[in-house]
Formats: sequence, C-alpha cells, structure tokens
Amino acid sequence: MFKKVLIANRGEIAVRVNRAAHELGIATVAIFSEPDRASLHVRNADESFCVGPGAAARSYLNIPNIISAALISGADAVHPGYGFLAENARFAEICADHGLCFVGPAPETIAQMGDKATAKAIMRDAKVPTTPGSDILASVSDAFVAARAVGYPVMLKATAGGGGKGMRAVNVPDDLESAFMVAQAEAEANFKDGRLYLEKLLEQPRHIEVQVLGDTFGNVVHVGERDCSVQKPSHQKLVEEAPAPVLGDALRTKLHRIAVAAARAVGYRSAGTLEFLVSGDDAFFMEMNTRIQVEHSVTEMVYGVDLVREQLRIAAGEKLELAQRDLVARGHAIECRINAEGADFTPAAGTLGDVALPGGFGVRVDSHAYAGLVVSPFYDALLAKIIAHGRTRDEAIERMSAALADTHLGGVKTTVATCAAVMRDERFRAGGVAIDFLPALGTAAAASA
Amino acid sequence: MDWDETLARVRSAAELCAQGNLACVRIEDGSFAVTLRRTVREARPAAVAQPTSTDGIRQNGAVDHPEMARSLLRAEFVGIVHFARPAVVPGTVLSEDRELAYVESLGIRNPIHSGGPGRVAEVFVAEGQPVDFGQTLFSIENA
Repeated sequence: MFKKVLIANRGEIAVRVNRAAHELGIATVAIFSEPDRASLHVRNADESFCVGPGAAARSYLNIPNIISAALISGADAVHPGYGFLAENARFAEICADHGLCFVGPAPETIAQMGDKATAKAIMRDAKVPTTPGSDILASVSDAFVAARAVGYPVMLKATAGGGGKGMRAVNVPDDLESAFMVAQAEAEANFKDGRLYLEKLLEQPRHIEVQVLGDTFGNVVHVGERDCSVQKPSHQKLVEEAPAPVLGDALRTKLHRIAVAAARAVGYRSAGTLEFLVSGDDAFFMEMNTRIQVEHSVTEMVYGVDLVREQLRIAAGEKLELAQRDLVARGHAIECRINAEGADFTPAAGTLGDVALPGGFGVRVDSHAYAGLVVSPFYDALLAKIIAHGRTRDEAIERMSAALADTHLGGVKTTVATCAAVMRDERFRAGGVAIDFLPALGTAAAASA
Repeated sequence: MDWDETLARVRSAAELCAQGNLACVRIEDGSFAVTLRRTVREARPAAVAQPTSTDGIRQNGAVDHPEMARSLLRAEFVGIVHFARPAVVPGTVLSEDRELAYVESLGIRNPIHSGGPGRVAEVFVAEGQPVDFGQTLFSIENA
C-alpha cells in the first residue's frame, strides 16, 4: 500500500479522499491555491503546499508545481479527485514519468474515452449499443441521407463540440439544410473545426449510469446503476439516486452486463462510470467517465462499498476484494447537491455565515463548508452533498426532505429550496423523470431559494 | 549634459512619484531617459503570517522606516531553495541587481533576483528548504 498520497484537488472531494487515505493508514498531502489557504482539505491533511494563486489554471491545474509538491513531500501516489486534472491523460503520464502512481486508469484509457468519436467507435466494436447516427457528414446531401436512415428527429453535433455549441435539433427534413449551415458556422467559429455528424434525437431520455470497478488482474465488477436525470438546463446533475427507479429488471440487468463488457473491452482499471441515455426499453452509450464521480456516494450507501478506498487499493496493485455476488443493493439512496447558486442556477458568491448541516440516522453529508468559508467565484459551486439512505425510495425521499429542512447555510444563495421542491414534486416521487424534468419544473422553485 | 539640472529633474520626478503614490515614472529627453520605480507593497493577510520575523515590518506589511522602501521576494514555484554563492545574510549590501538564490523545481533552476541594488534586510529561508508558491524568501531594502 502507498505511504503517502498527494490529493490534487480541493473542496468536498479532497476532504473525502483524505478520509479514505487516512483510514488505510496513508499519510496525505494537500495542495491549495492562495484563497483556499484556510480550507478544510488543507486543515485535514498531514502536509500541504500552496501551488498558485486563485485562478485554477495557475494553481489546481499547475502541473509542474503539483508534481514538485509530490516529489518534495515524498508522496508515492497522486489522487486527482474529479474535475481539474482527473481526466487529463498527459497528467497521468507525467505522474508515471516521475515515479508517482496516478490513482486512476491507464493514460491510454483516459485518452481513448476522452475523445468522443474514439470512445463511441470502441464501444460499437465491443457490441455496446450507441446512439444511432452517422460518421462525419461531408455535405448537406450526406446529412439528408443519414437523417433519413436513422429517422427524425435528429441532432446535428460538432465533432469538436462541447458546451452545446454547434448543436442543432432537427425535427423535420425541411429544417435540415438551414440547421446544418448554422451548426457548421457555429462549430467553425467556436472550435475552428466545422465538421458535423448527426445522431438520433432521443425523446425524453433518462440519464442512467453504471458504476464499474476494475483491477490490474482483469477483474471487473459493476456496482449497480444510478439515475441522474434531474439535471440543470446546463446538463449538470442536481439530484442523483441509486438504484434507478421504475426500471425493468431486464433493462437493469442488460445495463450492468453491457457496462462490465465495455470496461473489460478497454482493460479498465480503477473506478469508472458508463453513462447511458435510456429511452423506453432502449439504452445507448453516451460516454465513459474515467474517474470518481460526484454522485459516487449514493452507490456507496446502497452497496456498502467505499469506492475511493477501492480506487486506492486497486492503484496500489491489490486485487478486488469483492466478487460480483458479494455486491447486493440494500435500500435506496438519494443525493442532493447543495450548490452556491441563486435563481436560474447562476453562481453565487459570498462568505458563509451560519452553517448547520444535517445528520442523524441514514443521513450522510460530504462537505468542506464551515462558517467563514469564502465562496469564491474561481471554482465549482458545490458546497455540500446531502445523501439520505432508506429501506425504500419513499423513506429516502422523506428522510431527504427532513434533512434539507435542517440545512442552514447563511450568507450565500443555495440550491436547498430547489432540491426540496424536487422532493415534493409528484412526478419525481412517482420516479422515472426524464432529463427535461428540472428545466420544466421551472425557475419558480429556484427563485424562492 | 548638465548633471545638476538632470539630478534636479530626477529628484522632482521622484517626489512626484511618491506624492502621487505612483508605481513608476519615466522621463525622456533626446538621448537621455530614466525610469523611476517605487516598490508598492501589498498587504498580506495575518493568517498567512510569513515572514516570521516582523522586525521593521508591521502586520499589514507596511514598513516602519518610510524613507527606506522594502520589497519582499517570493517564490513562484514549489521547489527547494538554494542560495547563490556567496550566500547573502541580513545586512549584505547589494551594489547591483544579483541572483540571491534559486528555487529548484523538477530539475529547473528558477532564479530569485534582488531586482536592483539595496540591502538584504531579512532572509526567511534556509539552504535546502522546501518552499511553496508565494512563500517569502527575502526582504530587501531598496537603495
């Protein structure tokens, strides 16, 4: 096992990784930016290094300073958390070049899964269902042929795309030509690459993902699925749960089987997630995240497995302790992300005054919040994750509602009221909402936050 | 060139610089040009108490001797500090800009320069000590 791990992150995930490392008897090294000097992740670690000023590009993404801190402190491993450098294949390579173990999959796997087209092609070869679509479209006439083949509605997408740029939904053939021109121009302007492809536009899909764990000996298990359909208009998740409600056993089993096969196909090592869009009885591979995810905690509550601990064990070359038959879901868990955000999910800044976080039976809170924390505009708005576990989904919802009522974060606007509105909503309580649920819920709940 | 006149102009430029709280003043006249830079000290929060010795420096970073500008030299890189030879000590007079130390980071030497002539007021680090970003290494009284 490692002797010392550098945690290349901040916020709740750095606190979370620090805890798992300490439980395994591993000493920890925190890195921080100047405004984060008094942060909880710095206080909890055994050692710490300031790696740059507030801007993430010069601190949490400052690879030379991070590697230097790891070498000076004598760390033998680097845990990247999520975000920042977690899916940067080059960083993983640089760690290896300096004799540091990167806690994650092989750099090649990160690179393959990070490229949309490559990931999709690999999954297609592994017989994983992908959204029906085309290759790169050479012209508008190609687009007409491809759209007819997959059936309308379709989504035109930029191959270099991201952030919704160069994307256009097309419902009828008459709109295809103009949408193609607009998407192409937008892609050219934003990415200097106007190449487009198209995919079938799924109607009212749900976002369901499967957690996998793979070790260096080729053992792969799934740790069930999560439903993350309650998403902000920006497609960022707000509420997640495990297991996914209102999902037939046949489809659930199929998702698990596909995920394990896909992880095997890429020789996956560490914790990873395969994301699917589910429409009716069909599931289509969307992407694979080669890191721990924010919402991993709902899986932990239901399966009783510490996924970060498993990441560290696997990276240290240990075998998976858990066979598939040992992994049994018990009860239901829901997570609400408490973000420093105002109405319409616009980022809020300020200093936390009153901080009272819930606790008690079946309630888990992962957070770096404390009174006096300056919520900075530099970073992600996540302040706390509240996770409620119950014997049934209804019990978990009631427990979450009560926990949210016990949550007091003064000084900044938060998503507490929005999450409470989701818990009260009849459609959410019935289960199985699609990814358009939260935007449709409107800004009324957010406005009252 | 009339040196008396030139010095008078430089002196009045320096006064202008100080009175107007300006960081830099440049005067040019034909082939003659001079730039005056004043060290603008930033306040450093008490929580990050560094430098450890406060001799001559109040907690807000202001200097007790207003006639002598003092600047703090900080590390930009996480690394190991090594003194340039001969190593400076408090009181060392610097007749010109010189390298006082370097921070070795991933095998690269990142030099720390005095930034001009002056006197080393304090040395906050020891040879071979690990330093992180923003850590104060020296304070210099600028000439």
